[in-house]
Amino acid sequence: MQEAQSTQGHEHEHRSDTVILPAPTPWPMVLALGVALMITGMVTHWVISLLGLILTLRAIVGWFFDIFPHELHVAVPVQTGVMKISSTRTTREQLPVSASHRQMLPVETFSVVSGIKGGIVGGLAMIVPAALFGLLKYHSIWYAVNLLAAGGFVSWASETTAFLCQFHLEGLLAATGIHAFTSVLIGLLYGAMLPMFPRKPILTAGFVAPLLWTGILYSALGIISPVLNERINWLWFVISQIAFGLVCGFIVNLQVKVRTPQFRALPFAVRAGIHSDQPLTKDDEL
Amino acid sequence: MTTTPVLEAVDETLETQGKPPLNVIYEWLTTVDHKKIGLMYICYALLFLVIGGFEAVLMRIQLAIPNNHFVSPQVFNQLFTMHGTTMVFFMGMPILFGMGNYLVPLMIGARDMAFPRLNAFSFWVSAFAGFLLYFSYIGGSGLYAAGSAPDVGWFAYAPLTSKVFSPGHSTDYWTLAVFLSGIGSIGTALNIVTTILCMRCKGMKMSRMPLLPWLYLVMSGLVFVAVSPLTAAQIMLTFDRYLGAHFFDTQAGGSAILWMHFFWIFGHPEVYVLVLPAFAFANEIIPVFSRKAMFGYPAMVAASVAIGFISLSVWAHHMFTAGLGPAGNTFFVFATMVISVPTGIKIFNWLATIWGGKIIFAVPMMFMVGFLFQFLIAGLTGIMLAAAPFNWQLSASYFVVAHFHYVLVGAIVFSLFGAFYYWYPKVTGKMMDETLGKWHFWLFLIGFHLTFDFMHIPGILGMPRRIYTYEDGRGWNTLNFIVGIGAIFQAVGTLILVYNMIRSYYKGKEAGHDPWDAWTLEWSVPSPPPSYNFAIEPTVNSRRPLWDLKHPEDPDTDYE
Ligand code: HEM
Ligand SMILES: [Cu+2]
Repeated sequence: MQEAQSTQGHEHEHRSDTVILPAPTPWPMVLALGVALMITGMVTHWVISLLGLILTLRAIVGWFFDIFPHELHVAVPVQTGVMKISSTRTTREQLPVSASHRQMLPVETFSVVSGIKGGIVGGLAMIVPAALFGLLKYHSIWYAVNLLAAGGFVSWASETTAFLCQFHLEGLLAATGIHAFTSVLIGLLYGAMLPMFPRKPILTAGFVAPLLWTGILYSALGIISPVLNERINWLWFVISQIAFGLVCGFIVNLQVKVRTPQFRALPFAVRAGIHSDQPLTKDDEL
Repeated sequence: MTTTPVLEAVDETLETQGKPPLNVIYEWLTTVDHKKIGLMYICYALLFLVIGGFEAVLMRIQLAIPNNHFVSPQVFNQLFTMHGTTMVFFMGMPILFGMGNYLVPLMIGARDMAFPRLNAFSFWVSAFAGFLLYFSYIGGSGLYAAGSAPDVGWFAYAPLTSKVFSPGHSTDYWTLAVFLSGIGSIGTALNIVTTILCMRCKGMKMSRMPLLPWLYLVMSGLVFVAVSPLTAAQIMLTFDRYLGAHFFDTQAGGSAILWMHFFWIFGHPEVYVLVLPAFAFANEIIPVFSRKAMFGYPAMVAASVAIGFISLSVWAHHMFTAGLGPAGNTFFVFATMVISVPTGIKIFNWLATIWGGKIIFAVPMMFMVGFLFQFLIAGLTGIMLAAAPFNWQLSASYFVVAHFHYVLVGAIVFSLFGAFYYWYPKVTGKMMDETLGKWHFWLFLIGFHLTFDFMHIPGILGMPRRIYTYEDGRGWNTLNFIVGIGAIFQAVGTLILVYNMIRSYYKGKEAGHDPWDAWTLEWSVPSPPPSYNFAIEPTVNSRRPLWDLKHPEDPDTDYE
């Protein structure tokens, strides 16, 4: 910081044909050597440490007088001339889109934020099949809630089904937290995938994302939540996931910005990125 | 396409040609110029890359056939300890700091780092630390006695490091060298953070900063919070060994798990310290060779910052088999999986950048494609390992070794090689030879996959890591042999790179200042850049200042 300020300060005072830079100095190197030798002495011989100490002290003094009372500078002369910003590659043609186009393909897509919104609404929607499952099978809407919460309470591992069917405030809170957090995360991940599949958000969200997530969970659930792992009904799980995904995709679709015709008009090879309009040899000639 | 005249400088004061050699040496020893310091970092790291790579090849020769007696068990232990330590502390960190030193001030339009003298000091401390480590081969059991290198693994688990199990000084060499290099790392990290926050040129808001400085900002922040606990742990261990303290001595009420916590609180973020700059290179190279602006800049920044934070909270996934209890395991499994979200965002943004671009397969881009592909695979095996039950099976097997080399070599080294080809013209003013570059790429790619793809299988078949040999007839023979061949391919590829760098310096084509038609500020100065970087301090109006200069009819400014 200090150097920075003084450099800039000087620059305004001086003529513009020189630049003021900090002067070269041996003391940082000597100080490093001194410190290193002090430590080396610990594994060799105390005399080495002594030598290191002497170098260290000398370097500290030297460094001090580099900066006080005045920081040492050198003035480096600048020769200004005219340099052209141009390139060998500028002969390349633009893609067959409008000439002013800036190569921001995919041109329009959904934002990451729309993924998050989708995640939130999808998370809400997912509660319906989950609660329905509990209601049908155990006659309690709290079953699914408590099952999810059990991921956070190791002590619930040995609890009975009856226990899981009752209402527990801490269960509701924990489940809400876990569920909200994961829903937003999935939404986020999903939002990041969207640029790759801008045309079929419902398909992406409805099936691809839930299947990915279910796969990961399936392999890991044994440790994330042993309780859940033991009692989970994978059919209903997947149904809930797909409910999440479809709603999420629907919501995202509402956020759609119209995709510019530029993108859809491009041939597939260009959209997939395998198209280059110049033979490679051109590049080799650099 | 128009060209715009820009005032620029020709510098003659620091030309070394025709000066007596002693003067040249003195100039390098005393320099405070961030570019020279960066280059010294890179050269010294390359030296250690060759040494660490040589150790790897020795290990693979030993393991190529069963019941081999090429090296003794003791020597093998020393080899993997020195290899791991060298690659992480004396190759990985210095080379990335070197690249950052060179590039960050240029990319943010600054004349130098914020603290040029501290910068020199940090470099020299790290360099001496590396020499201290290797001095153990000469002086391991005290001056003039036969040497013994450290052999406790790069993580140096307690109680193996206690006086009882590690008499002599070999472990002290490890502790002190890592401690010393930590001082240098913290100094450089401080310097990079300050430089980025305080020295940006006019108009360069944080939201216009290229992604490389952004990632170096996050990386340096991580170095701060991660290396400090390690340094503290090194001091405690030194107390244990020199003064008879008992921090990690289980016999006297200390705790070996405490060491593990300390080490991995450093160790896992360290992986991201190494991988974030690799991301940074990808962020600069992929757009230029796809001829498109980076897709999703804000998401990229957010994801990088998120990765920084999350990586701090997952350290204990290295300790599943140490028995943390279900609550602990659950937390760390979950936290680990969460990191796949920002990582996924990054991968998709890179793909979206390539998507629809006019891809130019020059050597830097080839390495980037390798990087993307291999990083993806590493991520997948990483998720497998993050699942604790799976980890229980495979922890301490060769599967783990294969996984982390996928990250360390497949992602970091590939990205680094790409960066070498990309910025070499800026640093030297000469182009690297493309044909040799392609040889390097293909040999290294094939070698990499031969080594590390096949390494997964003996891991699944039960081959433990850190064994110095194995019996015949377990089905590991052929696999290990292939793995060894791959290592040699990689070594040859790397030597081609070194040859290419030296040859191109003398015989390469003139590069000009902007051979890739790039968009960031470092390409607006002559190659090599003068000592003051910018004759006139630049002003930027968008994320791609050079695009604006080259396309005054259609500047980015209008779109942001
Ligand atoms: C490119 C060729 C490389 C080969 C063939 C190679 C090979 C090996 C081998 C055989 C081991 C010992 C595994 C064991 O028995 O447990 C090992 C360990 C290790 N390697 Fe590499 N390696 C290479 C590159 C790298 C790089 C570039 C890095 C880091 C940036 C690295 C970091 C490590 C670490 C941290 C260990 C663990 C050491 C320990 O267990 O104490 N390696 N490597
Ligand atoms: Cu980790």
